[in-house]
Amino acid sequence: MNLLADKKIKRSQEPMASAATPDLDPGSQTAEAADRYMSRGSGPVARARTQVAAGLKPAAGLPDLKPMFEVQDLNLYYSKFQALKHINLTIPAHQVTAFIGPSGCGKSTLLRCFNRMNDLLEEVRIDGRILMDGRDLRGPQTDVVELRTKVGMVFQQPNPFPMSIFDNVAYGLRCQGIKDRVYLRQVVETSLKKAALYDEVKDELDKNATKLSGGQQQRLCIARAIALQPQVILMDEPTSALDPIATLKIEELMNDLKKEYTIVIVTHSMQQAARISDKTAFFLLGEVVEFDDTVTMFNNPSDKRTEDYISGRFG
Amino acid sequence: MNDRQPNALMLQHNRQRRKISDKIWRALFLISCVLSALMIVLIIIFIAVKGIRVFLPGYEYGQQNFWDFLTGMTWRQDSKTYGVGFIVINTFTTAAFAALLSFPVATLTALFIVKIAPERLRVAFTTVIELLAAIPSVVYGVFASGAITKLVQQLAAFFGQTSAAGISALSVILLLAIMIFPTICSMAIVAIQAVGKSLEWGSLALGASQTQTNFKVVLSAAKSGIFAGLVLGLGRAFGEATAVTMVAGNAMSGPSWNLFDTTRTLTTTMLSGMHETSGLDYDIRFSAGLVLMAVILLTNALIHLIKRKIGGVDHE
Ligand SMILES: Nc1ncnc2c1ncn2[C@@H]1O[C@H](COP(=O)(O)OP(=O)(O)OP(=O)(O)O)[C@@H](O)[C@H]1O
Ligand SMILES: [Mg+2]
Repeated sequence: MNLLADKKIKRSQEPMASAATPDLDPGSQTAEAADRYMSRGSGPVARARTQVAAGLKPAAGLPDLKPMFEVQDLNLYYSKFQALKHINLTIPAHQVTAFIGPSGCGKSTLLRCFNRMNDLLEEVRIDGRILMDGRDLRGPQTDVVELRTKVGMVFQQPNPFPMSIFDNVAYGLRCQGIKDRVYLRQVVETSLKKAALYDEVKDELDKNATKLSGGQQQRLCIARAIALQPQVILMDEPTSALDPIATLKIEELMNDLKKEYTIVIVTHSMQQAARISDKTAFFLLGEVVEFDDTVTMFNNPSDKRTEDYISGRFG
Repeated sequence: MNDRQPNALMLQHNRQRRKISDKIWRALFLISCVLSALMIVLIIIFIAVKGIRVFLPGYEYGQQNFWDFLTGMTWRQDSKTYGVGFIVINTFTTAAFAALLSFPVATLTALFIVKIAPERLRVAFTTVIELLAAIPSVVYGVFASGAITKLVQQLAAFFGQTSAAGISALSVILLLAIMIFPTICSMAIVAIQAVGKSLEWGSLALGASQTQTNFKVVLSAAKSGIFAGLVLGLGRAFGEATAVTMVAGNAMSGPSWNLFDTTRTLTTTMLSGMHETSGLDYDIRFSAGLVLMAVILLTNALIHLIKRKIGGVDHE
């Protein structure tokens, strides 16, 4: 698979790129470095880190394999139907983890467990645990609303709010009670830049977001999630409604984003999973059949069913 | 298998038929559209012709001055003084106050019904509101003259004011507020129901609370439907004659800014005593009707303006 070769090249470039980014070195928080941030347009984010509650996000470090989520023997039932069966997996921090598998096998369902969107559905019953920073996501100490500011989500269909581009991106922060206009403007700008949308919309931030193209809307939704400085971004088939160019943009974006965020993405495209992810989980009928490094998974899967699915011999 | 295969000739034939039926339907739509438009145009022309006649030279009961009519603050049959100025103001204020009372309550009720109330309560509430919308206005009128006026009378006494047995602008406002409530509310319900789940989920996923989601996203997405309800409600408030006549009184001059005073709106002016009169007093009611239409058109334009303002963006 030449996709993988492609990916390996990208990977080998990453550390260099990272080293050149002052963002990643906690020691360089000098005034000079801050100036450099500003000129690069990422100053507000650095400031945001100190302004927004300190616990919200640890300073971005080099990619490590610290676990972000630990799923322990998770079962989920939609009334009587068991959609997830004994799921055990660990989502590493600062990596892109892809969920693949045929339709209806429970990928979205598991994804929704990480920000507890399943709470909104009636008749859902869950047992088992998901630990985030060692704390049970569904435990009494976890506040759902706060959790969702730490774990952002991008949906399959772009769903911009019927308000201006600016207001869309500022929405999450405003809901947290942040009103400082200068600060909001800075965060909106950096978020849009990180989502690779800024150049296209910088002159029309007042424009109604529903008037953007589908791909732009999806990047806006990503920007909207980034604006909250989450630790994790969950993406449920974020590119399935998009054309190849918009898809490519979002994929490139994810490669940048994983330096600061942990990304979990559901995708139906094997190529996409191979191109962008570090880890891949293969789902089948509510179970995780295989969970491994993407390279391993695509080159020599240990399960016959994985192999069949990846090579397209499967539903 | 082969005799099941649709043959090309038949398909060709069907296509032809579909084309013809398309044409027939299009013609039918066009005809009904033209008919209803024609009806409206005819009504407007009729009222306009009759209403303008009294201001033209050679009017048999004595030509009226249009400007005096528009700005006059007295309306007396006995002295043949017909000034509609204060009546327009009364009409505006009563309808506006009624909407001011009704609109927020109706919108919040709709939000509650759709988003918060449990299933069973939702069905019950929706049914009640639909029923309320269907109650004939004369029934509201009877209720108002029996109950609302009594309440207003007591209120007036409490504030040390006199009122003509509760017949007053305040009674009109309360009556209209009640009458337009189901209209605004049911439109808001429909509009709020139409807001997609995906927006709500999007908002919740950004760490917004349910209340923030309801107010910032759901209401804002339902805005245009809710405003359409307001326009309909205001239309009803401006246009309601029967019930309003029962509690408005027949103030001969104004405007009075005391809500406990009797009032007179465009519709009550047109309606009360219409069948016992003739000549100028009869004809000038059409002029009042013309003014009423203008008032409604202007208000609609105003609301659209407001809507665009609110719909616009509000930062920086
Ligand atoms: N709200 C719900 N109520 C009941 N059953 C549901 C609900 N949502 C999903 N399911 C069921 O749970 C199973 C898993 O659904 P899920 O949406 O997680 O699949 P998926 O892997 O994301 O599929 P796709 O690739 O098509 O998006 C399916 O069989 C589906 O029918
Ligand atoms: Mg899915």
